[in-house]
Amino acid sequence: MSQTSIIGSSSIVRGHVRGEGNLEIHGRVEGDVTVNGDVTVGAGAVVLGNITATQLNIAGTVEGDLRGTEALLIEQGARVVGDLSSPRVGLAPGALVRGSVRTDDESPLAAPAPRRPGVTSASRSAAVAPPPLRAAAPIPKRKPVVTAVQPIAVENDVVAEVAPAPAPEPPKERRQAPPPVIPSLGKHAKAKKKRREA
Amino acid sequence: MIGNEMAGTVIAEGLNIEGDLSSEEELVIHGNVKGKLTSSELVSVGSTGVVEADIVGATVSVAGHVTGDVTASERVDLQTGGRLIGDVKAARFTIADGASFKGNVDMEM
Amino acid sequence: MVRQTAEESVLGAGTEITGRVSGEGSLRLEGSLRGEIVMGGDAEIGAQGSLEGSLQAAAVDIAGSVIGDVHARGPIWIRSGALVRGELHADEITIEPGARVSVRLEGDLQLDLGLPKRR
Repeated sequence: MSQTSIIGSSSIVRGHVRGEGNLEIHGRVEGDVTVNGDVTVGAGAVVLGNITATQLNIAGTVEGDLRGTEALLIEQGARVVGDLSSPRVGLAPGALVRGSVRTDDESPLAAPAPRRPGVTSASRSAAVAPPPLRAAAPIPKRKPVVTAVQPIAVENDVVAEVAPAPAPEPPKERRQAPPPVIPSLGKHAKAKKKRREA
Repeated sequence: MIGNEMAGTVIAEGLNIEGDLSSEEELVIHGNVKGKLTSSELVSVGSTGVVEADIVGATVSVAGHVTGDVTASERVDLQTGGRLIGDVKAARFTIADGASFKGNVDMEM
Repeated sequence: MVRQTAEESVLGAGTEITGRVSGEGSLRLEGSLRGEIVMGGDAEIGAQGSLEGSLQAAAVDIAGSVIGDVHARGPIWIRSGALVRGELHADEITIEPGARVSVRLEGDLQLDLGLPKRR
């Protein structure tokens, strides 16, 4: 059974936290957190340091890099400055993040630089194996089939129609763009957002 | 044990802290701490706890291993199976049968 | 084929454009565009849509693929099947789990890190 540690709301850790098991942070941590387990940073919590864990749930304030080997969820009210990395990332509406967010692991991230000079550890604590790097999923590149159309200078609410070209046509011909066939929008037309349900 | 304010801070077995842990609430240690432990309340080192640190608390209860000086404004209790190497400063100090202790004791508060 | 209602332009699934698409209204891209989009209204990149280039709009909703920077005056919502690479600028950004992203979130977020309690 996985044990859960709790750093209470009036507790402060100045140093690194490592090991096995889950961890709930409701207080303040100034140092890196590296656990083989799930980490929750509660709404009032403050972490100055990097956090590496299996699943991360962040509702508080973090200045540091976040790495979830399985998932990383940033909840409403969270405030994060740092780089986020996990194969599965969620950023809720109302979460504020500044930094990079990556679900791929293309460039193998070096272990994040420790935020505080580490205490030389003679401890017997089991070293947490670095999370396995996933091969980057190839980005589907669609070969754009371009029928050499002049760059469309679309002005004044007009959208030009482009006829889709048959696949193997060599892009050699230079043709005039066909005249726009769509009537322009009225001057005061309001954009209406059509949101599709996910 | 989610959001249980009464419990204060609990460091479970398997977790290691290298550094200082200070709190205005209870500290319960079942894991490893190397550094410093400070509370204005109870500090309890469970039987699996291993602490290489000075401990300061209102009351300090040791059932695990502590290497470091222990200062308590009220009392220090060394439980059966507990092991304390370091100086103790407290108004009251009890050592249970089966515990082991090496250090100086100052009970003048 | 392009259809247009009074408010929204739609670049349908079979459409391929190279160039700049701009307008006062909103846009839904189901086809593929290499260039830039500059809209006064909202922009939606549908699940089959693909944009290589920058996007400027009010609210932005991405279910397809965007490779380029996105500047939104409103919120940005990235759906779970989306693929997005680039810089995102918006006051509010939502990313659904399952989205594939390699993005930089810019903004002027300043953290209030509080003072450690001193006793």
